[in-house]
Amino acid sequence: MRAQAEVLQVRRPTRLAQQAVGLLTIAPGLILILGLILYPVGYQVWLSLLDKHSFFPEQRFVGLDNYVYLWGDAEFWTSLWLGVIYSVSTIVLQVLLGIAAALVLHQPFRGRGLARAVVLFPYMIPTIVAVILWRWLLNDTYGLVNYVLMAWGLLREPISWLGADHIMLALVLVSVWQFMPFVLLAILARLQTIPEDLYEAAKVDGASAVRRFLHITLPHIRGILFVVVLLRSIWMFTKFDTVWLMGEGAGAGRFIRTLPVYAYMRTLTYYQAGLGAALAVIMFAILMVGTVIYFQVFRREVDIG
Amino acid sequence: MSAARTRRLLGRALIYAVAAFLVFLAGGPFVWMLSTSLKPPGEVFAHPPALIPAAPTLENFHRLFGQTSFLVYFRNSVLVSGLAVLLTLVVGAAGAYSLTRYRYAGREQIAVLILCTYMFAPIMIVIPFFILAKRVGVENTHLVLVLAFTSFCLPFTLWLLRAFFETIPLELEEAALVDGADRLRAVLHVVAPLALPGLIATGIFTFILAWNDYIFTRILISSDELKTLPVGVQDLFHSALIDWGLIMAAGVLITVPALVFFLAVQRQLVAGWGSGGLKG
Repeated sequence: MRAQAEVLQVRRPTRLAQQAVGLLTIAPGLILILGLILYPVGYQVWLSLLDKHSFFPEQRFVGLDNYVYLWGDAEFWTSLWLGVIYSVSTIVLQVLLGIAAALVLHQPFRGRGLARAVVLFPYMIPTIVAVILWRWLLNDTYGLVNYVLMAWGLLREPISWLGADHIMLALVLVSVWQFMPFVLLAILARLQTIPEDLYEAAKVDGASAVRRFLHITLPHIRGILFVVVLLRSIWMFTKFDTVWLMGEGAGAGRFIRTLPVYAYMRTLTYYQAGLGAALAVIMFAILMVGTVIYFQVFRREVDIG
Repeated sequence: MSAARTRRLLGRALIYAVAAFLVFLAGGPFVWMLSTSLKPPGEVFAHPPALIPAAPTLENFHRLFGQTSFLVYFRNSVLVSGLAVLLTLVVGAAGAYSLTRYRYAGREQIAVLILCTYMFAPIMIVIPFFILAKRVGVENTHLVLVLAFTSFCLPFTLWLLRAFFETIPLELEEAALVDGADRLRAVLHVVAPLALPGLIATGIFTFILAWNDYIFTRILISSDELKTLPVGVQDLFHSALIDWGLIMAAGVLITVPALVFFLAVQRQLVAGWGSGGLKG
């Protein structure tokens, strides 16, 4: 081994050359991330201090005027509120249903592999497909959902799912359908690493299924749950495509105009790039504060991140 | 004995019932999409709706190919996603190799920095990205889309491949080097085959992200002939009266590639490590 190492030492390029090769091979990736992610994010902060048209080069430094404007902007507060309703309801439902589904699909039964594949699949499809599919299913006149609910006697009259009263419900439904599999997948993966003999021993001791869940399963999935809730919160709070596509042309779109959609519209409907950027910066700040609080509150309870 | 047996049977029945319900909720909508896509226009709006088309037809698919730019969008999607996968794999593998095989100042800091960018959502980047792309003069090109997808997938790719490369013993490469191979040959013939599962997985994730993307394409592409499927199909959806048969046919065709890739990766997904590797 020592002799081999010495041979390598002789054949190896010098330390300096090694460093150079190392830096050269990481460089393309680093340049892309710095130039195309971090630089735009930094530029966004600068942009939020400008009065700038989205397409024309003219710009004017206005300091914090964009933020001051938004502070007094009713539409901003509405979008923030709608975004909170949307994120909280979808996250709670995704996590609860995801855990329940994972517990069931963890049990051995015939056809389990196929069942898992089918249940995970909605997460893999383009959002546009999820949205057109559900807008067809939820169509007020010809939709299958209204037809089935009425045929079963659960509804007297068809519901206008994409109307002002129900569009948020429809959006939450579609989002949970599309993103619950992520939670399911993460929990299912973790469940498979819990030693089976823990459950066997508990059964011998006469512990009920509920007690086994509370005292064995829950402590084991706590770590992954911590990460999953964090990621899903970040992603649901910044979710753009599902929300935008559900509201587009639906008439009642403004009842689901969450913060990301509002930022998009300020930039590309009203061409106020500065205001759009300020909204994105606010979104980012809320996420940062939220993440810090989340860590403060829950981190102590979790051993492994 | 019989009480315990009854309880066990009830438990099994419950598991089957819940599993069947989950499969119905997740898979049912796709069956309905396929069913609608095979119906002639008159039947699409029939009351009561029928699951099996009375007179199944491929007319919707014919019209999709003949009367819309669907095939152009499809080609663009394949091109852009394919190039994004290729670039991500090359840049990602080189970077991950560097992070595991060479020592230099700031290596760990670079790794942490990369991980942090994993948290950014598209909506937080796309507006300044668009303005900067316009300033450079590359907006409305496939190149800018490929670069956007690549840089967006890189953080995850670098981390996953780094984890893979770390498990490959250094001795294997050194043996190849001793045998007279140069570094590149050692990497291609010794490291790459061992890291193949990781390369395939990151390739598939990049493909799915690029294939599914809506927001980057919507904002960065304005010419109809450069649009990819999600944006192209949305515009189809926009036109005056919604032609549900046609739209569902488009939905079926966009779903097929995702289905193929999903079936390929499905087993590994559930096996565990893939859970952190998805975005959105």
